[in-house]
Amino acid sequence: MEQLILSATLNGVLLGGVLALLVFGLNLIFGVVKIIHLAYGQFVMLGMYVIFFLVTTYKMNIFIASIISCIILGLLGILLQMIVINPLLKSPRLNQLLALAGVIIIFENMAMVLWGADYRGIKLLLPVIHFGSLFVRTSYLVAFIGAILTLLALTLFLNRTYVGIAIRATAQDLDSIQLMGINPKWVYLITQATGGILSGIAASFFMPIYAVHPHFGSAFTLMAFIIVILGGMGNFLGGFISAFIIGVVTSISAVLTSTEIADSIDLIIFILIMLVRPQGLLGIRESR
Amino acid sequence: MTARSFLKRKFLFVILLLSILILPLLSPSPYLIHIITFIFIWSYITTVWSYMGRFHLVSLGHGAFLGIGAYISILLFNDYNISPWIGMLLGGMGAALLALILGYACFRFGVIGDYFALVTLALGELVALMIDAFRNVTGGSLGMTLKSVGTSFYYLQFEKEIYYYYISLLFLIFGLFLWQIIDRSRIQKALRAIGEDEIAAASIGIRIVRYKLFITLISAFLTATGGVLYTQYMTYVNPETLSGMGVSLAIPFKAILGGMFHVWGSTIGTAMIVSLEEYIRIMYGARFIGISQVFYGALLVALIIFLPKGLYGTLSDYWHKRNDRRASKIEVRLS
Repeated sequence: MEQLILSATLNGVLLGGVLALLVFGLNLIFGVVKIIHLAYGQFVMLGMYVIFFLVTTYKMNIFIASIISCIILGLLGILLQMIVINPLLKSPRLNQLLALAGVIIIFENMAMVLWGADYRGIKLLLPVIHFGSLFVRTSYLVAFIGAILTLLALTLFLNRTYVGIAIRATAQDLDSIQLMGINPKWVYLITQATGGILSGIAASFFMPIYAVHPHFGSAFTLMAFIIVILGGMGNFLGGFISAFIIGVVTSISAVLTSTEIADSIDLIIFILIMLVRPQGLLGIRESR
Repeated sequence: MTARSFLKRKFLFVILLLSILILPLLSPSPYLIHIITFIFIWSYITTVWSYMGRFHLVSLGHGAFLGIGAYISILLFNDYNISPWIGMLLGGMGAALLALILGYACFRFGVIGDYFALVTLALGELVALMIDAFRNVTGGSLGMTLKSVGTSFYYLQFEKEIYYYYISLLFLIFGLFLWQIIDRSRIQKALRAIGEDEIAAASIGIRIVRYKLFITLISAFLTATGGVLYTQYMTYVNPETLSGMGVSLAIPFKAILGGMFHVWGSTIGTAMIVSLEEYIRIMYGARFIGISQVFYGALLVALIIFLPKGLYGTLSDYWHKRNDRRASKIEVRLS
């Protein structure tokens, strides 16, 4: 039993890395454009399909396919911002949310039309690493390292480049940046593009782990939101840490009970956090 | 409103009601009756959703209440032979209890706006997961079929769809009627004040938690009864169609696209969405599978962008503007 829990914990930490990948883009869009991006999981789903398509049909190298899928998703993010979100920037939050729910319907069915409802995956033979009697899946380990590298790259981008600083400023004070001569529309577009690229990165690391199907995204969207809220909206480090918390909790409770109960526990944690500490674990309380 | 336009409106209403009552007697296709019954049931659910929605209490988790009501009633009926009418009551109470727990916690801690929407979204998903988790009782995602007893009013089961047509119409009328009652009461004024600015409302002595809980409980209870009605009509439930994110988002969709600040908004929105869905499914569904749904999604997004106040809201705005313009023209002529 101890062995089981120990290995569940280890797998939970690695799962946390995988989930953290998912959360970066969502967090960025949440913090800057201030919309609840309900269709983010569907972005990841489309990215995985693009990689799958390029690899199986054009026999492309998986690395090149991943880069292409990142570019496509970045463009898709820009498109989404221009067509759906820009007209709705000033409308009530519910309308934005429902428009994105409509986008989910579009994306899922588009995937269904193009690639069918089957589970699609790429077979990659990766060795299993083991420490003593603990087994670790290499694909998880790769995703874990990828998450850390992505976080580093994102931090550098947001802190060291002009555009990154503009993005952070927009998140903090929309009125002042306009006085400083920054056009928020452009910042939004760049943020959406970055968010799209981040979802592409997530898709690339997900590819060896999961098989993709049209409803793949919705399974992850709510989980991603739980993590974002838990860490504090727009707070990257908080999101990163809470991804590990959720990963470990999910993994251990799934071993002890069943997957549905594990997911329910996540949701209950989420509801409790919302009630007691809506700014998240590391968030700064704003006046509401 | 002038006396004449009031009478005109009453007259229109009576004609509409009569034509709806007579329609099934003209023996149209059963398909049409089915679609209209469907519209009635969902209109009822959407209308009771908008009891809350119109006061900026946006719940994205009404699937939870639907699911609880439906499952309590169907389990009581299938296992203990208890009439769905009683099941409706108990299911409604179950939903209201859940609403009480979550609502009290939310309102007490001041969870409003987006946060409230997200909490309720999680609630809907939570109930769906719970139904899945206890699959040896509820049948999990395979769903459950209602035991058949033939035609019996006591068991709310009929072999002919026409009965459901009238019963769901009755429910819808009740929902709309209750809207009017709430609209004319003090509660509406208090809740509107709260919806506009909670702190200001509290400062003049409006009991925020009490009023918000009241409307949430009513909405949850009635939504659960709608879930039972739906179950009796479809004779089949599963967590996907009754709880979870999909249906929880579909309800506000209908309300928004109709115009959730008007009595008729939800009904019009539901009629529009359901007929659109059916039209697209029948016209294009067989020829290009999936494409029809892409089309439908695109249409929904476009409607949200171009009709932010919903069909009824936009139309009535236009109407009022036109009437105002006419009135001012007449005044000019008189002077």
